[in-house]
Amino acid sequence: MTSRLVRHGALAALLLVPMAATAGPDDALRLARAAVAAGDNKAGPFAVVDKKQARVFIFQGDGALLASSPVLLGLARGDVSVPGIGERKMSDIKPHERTTPAGRFASEPGRNLSGEDIVWVDYDAAVSMHRVRPVVKAERRLERLATPTPADNRITYGCINVPAAFYDRYVKPALGSRQGVVYVLPDQATSRSVFGFMGH
Amino acid sequence: MNRTSKLVAALALAAAGTAFAQGNPPTTASPNPATAAGQQSPAGGPMGTTGTTPQNNSASGSGSGGTSGSAPMSGSMSTGSNNDTNATASNSRPMRPARADRN
Repeated sequence: MTSRLVRHGALAALLLVPMAATAGPDDALRLARAAVAAGDNKAGPFAVVDKKQARVFIFQGDGALLASSPVLLGLARGDVSVPGIGERKMSDIKPHERTTPAGRFASEPGRNLSGEDIVWVDYDAAVSMHRVRPVVKAERRLERLATPTPADNRITYGCINVPAAFYDRYVKPALGSRQGVVYVLPDQATSRSVFGFMGH
Repeated sequence: MNRTSKLVAALALAAAGTAFAQGNPPTTASPNPATAAGQQSPAGGPMGTTGTTPQNNSASGSGSGGTSGSAPMSGSMSTGSNNDTNATASNSRPMRPARADRN
């Protein structure tokens, strides 16, 4: 009886932690461990975006995983931003240019032109992490986030869209009021070639 | 001199005194134009070149290093992959001007 209660309690605890360590793909967790070991995050909270899995992982400064969530990413696969894309109108951005760049980014809290609080991932390239905005119904952004597969999570112009509740509960406390680090795992290159602290 | 003349003379004297008292007229220039105009750095740091809050800046106001003109704003930002090593070194940097994101 007691052991059954313990098992149920443990299961309930797992369910309360949104997609915690059990859901963490190896790549993201490996990168997090290496970043903390190298002191690359400077003991501050950080995020790892796994583009292949279309998930973001939020970590404490000591490397403890807080939570993870599905995300929406740039429509096109690719690991670099087109030069000058941050200065261009959305309507001028071609489909193949809608990439979410990979790499290590010094994030900072900021605001967009609507006054919405966001986390800048790459300010110059206008890439941010923000609450999903289901403005264009045809894009079905909320539906894409809800499906279990990452295959349909490529729709943005490069920004990283997260569910609003997840943003408010995890992203904003960790990165929305201070500078931090966002690591974006590459689509095509290897992690070791992108993140020097992982060794070659 | 009748009473009317005395009254006129007194009024003239009073007017002249007032004029002398106004010899150092108030200036319209504030000793602290930024404060007087209600324009202050939102983060309490030095004023930017625009003097407006981030929400009021245009999308074209972006650029490398920001527009505040303050030294900390020139910190490096990633424009590609793996080129930024100044992650959490400073958390006192003022917020950069608002700009459009790529949604």
